Amino acid sequence: MSAAGTSHNQAAANAGPGGGLSGLIAKRPEFVTLVLLMAICIAVTIANPAFLQPSTLIDIGRASVVTGLFALGVFVILAAGGIDVSFTAIAALTMYSITLLVQKYAPDLSIVVVFAIAIAGGVFLGVVNGFLVYTLRVPSLIVTIGTQYFFRGGLLAFIGTTWIMELPGEMATFGRLSLLEFETANGAIVSLPVYFLILPVVAVLTWWIMRRTLMGRAIFSLGGNPEVTARLGYNVKIVHLFVFGYAGALAGLAGIVHITANRLANPFDLVGTEISVIAAVVLGGARITGGTGSVIGTMLGVLLVVVVDNVLVMVGIPSTWQRVFVGAFILLAAAFFVTRQRKFKPAK
Amino acid sequence: MTKQDPQNRCFLELRNIHKRFGGVHALRGVDMSLQAGEVYHLLGENGCGKSTVIKIMAGAHPPSEGQIILDGEVHDELTPIQSLDFGIETVYQDLSLIPNLTVMENVALGEQLVEGHGRLLRTLDRARLKETATKALSQVGLNVTAELLSTIVSDLPLAIRQLVAIARAIACEARLVIMDEPTTSLTRREVENLIDVVSKLRSRNVAVLFVTHKLEECYRIGGHAIVFRDGQCVAQGPINNYSRTDLAELMTGRKISEKRYRTGAPSAETLMVLDRLEVPGRFRDVSFKLHKGEVLGITGLSDSGRNELALAIAGIKPAAGGSISVNGKPVRIHSASESIDAGIGYVPEDRLSEGLFLDKSIYQNEIALILRKLASKFGILDMKKGKEIARDISEKMRLNTADIELPVSALSGGNQQRVLIGRWLSIDPEILVLHGPTVGVDVGSKDAIYQTIQKMAEQGIGLVIVSDDLPELLQNCDRILVMSAGEIVADLNGAGANEDEIYQAMLGSVQEGAA
Repeated sequence: MSAAGTSHNQAAANAGPGGGLSGLIAKRPEFVTLVLLMAICIAVTIANPAFLQPSTLIDIGRASVVTGLFALGVFVILAAGGIDVSFTAIAALTMYSITLLVQKYAPDLSIVVVFAIAIAGGVFLGVVNGFLVYTLRVPSLIVTIGTQYFFRGGLLAFIGTTWIMELPGEMATFGRLSLLEFETANGAIVSLPVYFLILPVVAVLTWWIMRRTLMGRAIFSLGGNPEVTARLGYNVKIVHLFVFGYAGALAGLAGIVHITANRLANPFDLVGTEISVIAAVVLGGARITGGTGSVIGTMLGVLLVVVVDNVLVMVGIPSTWQRVFVGAFILLAAAFFVTRQRKFKPAK
Repeated sequence: MTKQDPQNRCFLELRNIHKRFGGVHALRGVDMSLQAGEVYHLLGENGCGKSTVIKIMAGAHPPSEGQIILDGEVHDELTPIQSLDFGIETVYQDLSLIPNLTVMENVALGEQLVEGHGRLLRTLDRARLKETATKALSQVGLNVTAELLSTIVSDLPLAIRQLVAIARAIACEARLVIMDEPTTSLTRREVENLIDVVSKLRSRNVAVLFVTHKLEECYRIGGHAIVFRDGQCVAQGPINNYSRTDLAELMTGRKISEKRYRTGAPSAETLMVLDRLEVPGRFRDVSFKLHKGEVLGITGLSDSGRNELALAIAGIKPAAGGSISVNGKPVRIHSASESIDAGIGYVPEDRLSEGLFLDKSIYQNEIALILRKLASKFGILDMKKGKEIARDISEKMRLNTADIELPVSALSGGNQQRVLIGRWLSIDPEILVLHGPTVGVDVGSKDAIYQTIQKMAEQGIGLVIVSDDLPELLQNCDRILVMSAGEIVADLNGAGANEDEIYQAMLGSVQEGAA
């Protein structure tokens, strides 16, 4: 019997990803993202040492928050084998309606309550997505294209189309609260805002859910093989509602962060940025067909996209070229990941 | 978990179960009762309702009519979690493993899911996950290492996946373990180990229900036979009360003999020569000749290199060294299409994922290889001719469905396999490599497949059957090559050999190698 065991394990080892670089890429695809990110940072630093200034790094950190929150939501849905393109519309709808309500009825409302309401609103809209995907058995891409138009159209048609330049009460001041502040050599004041903290907190929470709870395993399981997941006793409906509700919650949260950071509530904002968020998640090693990905990879993907968006200008590359770069990176990363994808096929 | 009433050991009973799928009446009033610590063999042809009855017990399908009685409690239907909660564990034919999770998670997550009655918002007890998985995996005979535990299931070969699926079923404190063809991709050594596992389960008062086509294994294990035909239970009783032919007759409703199918003889003309073929690490120095009209069997344990040899001949995983020549001319086989050009056809082991277009019709599947021939100058397919050819093939393959427009997914396993083999008839191959041609196929279909094999040999096609099923090789082959540790260790005459002889050859050199 032990002989049988040994030969099995040899076979298992042979069939598994090989050692060395390709093995590493297969096991931890986000490694490619990290290398790409470091390569860009080194190249930019050589071309323009100003890159390593604290002010640039803080800018990158600040710019990552909204994309990062969206991306974590997308990652959770991708892991479950779905896709969501309505999250920006959820964010726009919740942020704008809440701002209007707060302005009109409760200008002194605490920012914590504002966030809570936004999260609740996001959960509700996300659960609508999840419910539709589960009951209609329609691919989530189609459902969320529908709800994106629906949420956004509803916002513009029934709620409002004017910009709100004067945010009420704590919503106006929260964006200015800073965690740390210092003066740069040329006298400008740079500050890292308090809202930056939201991203790492949510990232750790997401990691914990995905890696340490049964729900997390059920999510990956659903992304791996939905039929079998149901057969094994997982409540597939609850998993659907959870992932879309969670992504909705993060979208609601991101919406409020977005307006407090910009000190402006623009109902036309955010929608249209879905693709770059999804790109960030895919660059972080999550497969578009579901069942894979990691929080760390997602964060690296977000950083990569944000760095390209914000930093290429520093080395004299015109902003119109940024998309070309992001596109090239996606193709490059896809080429790297393909070795793993060939291996990954359903165990039928 | 084993608080059994000694007077009434029957803990699970099905009463007058009916199941309809649309217009198909899959189960017609099934009555069955299972006792703790017993072994049952659910026998029957493909499509007789075995899988459906299992799915009803596992809670995957609700019955259309009838009752399920668990410990005296009457249920109209079960949910998967109710069934698991009661202690019914199932090893499905498709294994039902989650491909992107690790071996450890696949084996041991269920325990914690069932404990919380399906509640998902719980933290994982990771220490227990590891403990449970280690215990279950070592019970099925795997050497548990940290590497194995953290391997993603889709990276495992089929045989190990099957063992992992079995480990999952025994990981929880089960009362009934259902195994739907658990040995299809296992070698004899692994089957022996499984039989061991079953007797351990029995001694813990766990009932085991096997669904299988391998009668030989049923007799080895012993216990009760439950025979299904056309959605009804036609016989039930101790398996030793029935002979093989009794069972085959009960299953098919007609007489089947265990005759040797091989009637013809190969011609003297050499068709294909393999000369010192090699894939490093898998097999080496493989040389043999295949004659026209010869049926050549190749067998060995799953790690003996026989699978890789088949794939190398088919050009799917080309050989790195040595040469292949067909009709005296050396051929270069570096891809599947080069192999087809050389006149070599290949029917893969895993017909569902490697061979068939499941949602396409029978005729589309059968003409898949000759589309170029059917196309006009402008690339338009002559469908009329295509259907004619497909009808002809269906007839030759004795497909029991006249409707060639049906999707292949609607067919039973045996009929699917016939479609797949039939496809090759369309291009008149000179050589056909059949990899596990009757894996998961019922007695009636086996008969049809074997007759086709012999007919093809009569037409001068050289056939290579790579298989685990020793009776199959003995019934069909002129010669049987036995591989072990990457080399051919025996070349036996199909008419004279017996199972023991082959088995000895398979294991012999393993022991030598270990010494």
